[in-house]
Amino acid sequence: MRKHKLFKLTLLFLSLVTVLSGCGFPGLSSSSKDTVKIAAQNTTEQQIMAAVIQQMIEHYSDLNTAVISNLGSGTVSFQAQKRGDADLTAIRYNGTDMQTILNESGETDPAKVDQIVRKEFKDKYHMTYFPSYGFADTYQFMVTQKFAKEHNLNTVSDLKEVAPSMKVGIDQIWMNRKGDGYDDFQKQYGFSFGRVYPMQIGLVYNALASGKMDAVLGYSTDGRIGSYNLKLLKDDLHYFPPYEASVVVNDSALKRHPQLKGILRRLDGKFPLKTMQKLNYQVDNNLQEPAVVARNFLKQHNYFERSDD
Amino acid sequence: MQSMNVLEQLAYYFAHNGMYVLEQFSRHFLISIYGVLLAAIVGIPIGILIARYRKLSGWVIGIANVIQTIPSLAMLSIIMLGLGLGVNTVIVTVFFYALLPIIKNTYTGMVNVNRDVLDAGKGMGMTRIQVLRLIEIPLSLSVIMAGLRNALVLAIGITAIGSFVGAGGLGDIIIRGTNATNGGAIILAGALPTALMAIIADLVLGFFEKRFDPSTRKAKQA
Repeated sequence: MRKHKLFKLTLLFLSLVTVLSGCGFPGLSSSSKDTVKIAAQNTTEQQIMAAVIQQMIEHYSDLNTAVISNLGSGTVSFQAQKRGDADLTAIRYNGTDMQTILNESGETDPAKVDQIVRKEFKDKYHMTYFPSYGFADTYQFMVTQKFAKEHNLNTVSDLKEVAPSMKVGIDQIWMNRKGDGYDDFQKQYGFSFGRVYPMQIGLVYNALASGKMDAVLGYSTDGRIGSYNLKLLKDDLHYFPPYEASVVVNDSALKRHPQLKGILRRLDGKFPLKTMQKLNYQVDNNLQEPAVVARNFLKQHNYFERSDD
Repeated sequence: MQSMNVLEQLAYYFAHNGMYVLEQFSRHFLISIYGVLLAAIVGIPIGILIARYRKLSGWVIGIANVIQTIPSLAMLSIIMLGLGLGVNTVIVTVFFYALLPIIKNTYTGMVNVNRDVLDAGKGMGMTRIQVLRLIEIPLSLSVIMAGLRNALVLAIGITAIGSFVGAGGLGDIIIRGTNATNGGAIILAGALPTALMAIIADLVLGFFEKRFDPSTRKAKQA
């Protein structure tokens, strides 16, 4: 009798543990097999696209989705994908991947970069680079209109005269990057800035507009360029490679969920630069969450229903 | 947006992202609850065990104490090495932190049960399981509840940090606020619900704790 009860208790305990740990946690879509895990970095653009992909997958299939958000850099999300923690990354920029993942620099012709990255990712890492979303995000130096007029600035080379006395805010990731980072920038353009402040990319535009910085290095897609009326300086020596944006998916995930390919292909070229800037602006300036912006946008376009191919 | 003050921005934010906040709120709550539940499943039997074999108690509580001293961000990173990014890492982290209050309180509750009552039970011919089920657990339930309450409040705080490994939850909103231009309102929109959740969890479990307290129960029956 006593033994019987003890046995029952143990059985109950064991089954509870297995239920709770074995097949994922209900309501969190954590570890079950039909969950597509989407990695996204901590930039606005990435989080919007992660939400877009999540909502597209949920709209067109029965798959569960989980977003792994706030990753620090493209390298972190790449590692996550390589380990299988994530099945796809919401946005990868082919120029960045060539420099930081493949360690190849020098090539700045967009078509060649695209070709090399696509092939290397397929062969080396078994990941598929999808066609571009339709926008390229590139680093661009920007100044206020007033500062540009005062010093007669149009291109990055024009900065040479004033650079030693300038305070410049830059993306903290860019600071130590090999290939297209600050070190190589100094070599190529032949000057360095007086003081450089590495900061979170989302903060640079405000710092520039409020006069705390003389120039900043920001993303060309950011909506705040328009709202603060910032002046972009042309990269006249073509230092920055093109960063065409697309989704990158593990081949294993594509094999597991064949329907993914069709769903993601619906997004090809649907996000021209102006659209992306507008979406970014809604998040950065209008207090809307990326997921909300994505939902409104997809509803407005009817989830790209008619682009079956 | 710049023309509004923080409170107006906050109201505007909730009006436009209400559903999203609600989603993150429930996600945050589930992560915390799962961690604490797992810890309870493991911790309560351990507590009962070390109350019976007192020699083990020093060791077990010592180990749980050491776990508690590891900073939560460090713990999260260590577990991430093994489990990778995502929500499971956070649940396991919460599990480890919730262990100590649960084990310690179960142990204390069991040890403080009056020996006379135990003897009376034995004298009535109860088996060990019956003593445990009918005397020890009911009498220590309120102390165990207090442990769960501590654990859950702790867990809600830790889950907020979980955003760093991509688990989601209200911490996501807070982090986004720190990245956004004039993100003050967004930070509040993430922080206030987190605090609210902790307070509610504390009140609700506090209520149960009182309910299970043997002294108040007796008073009601009288």
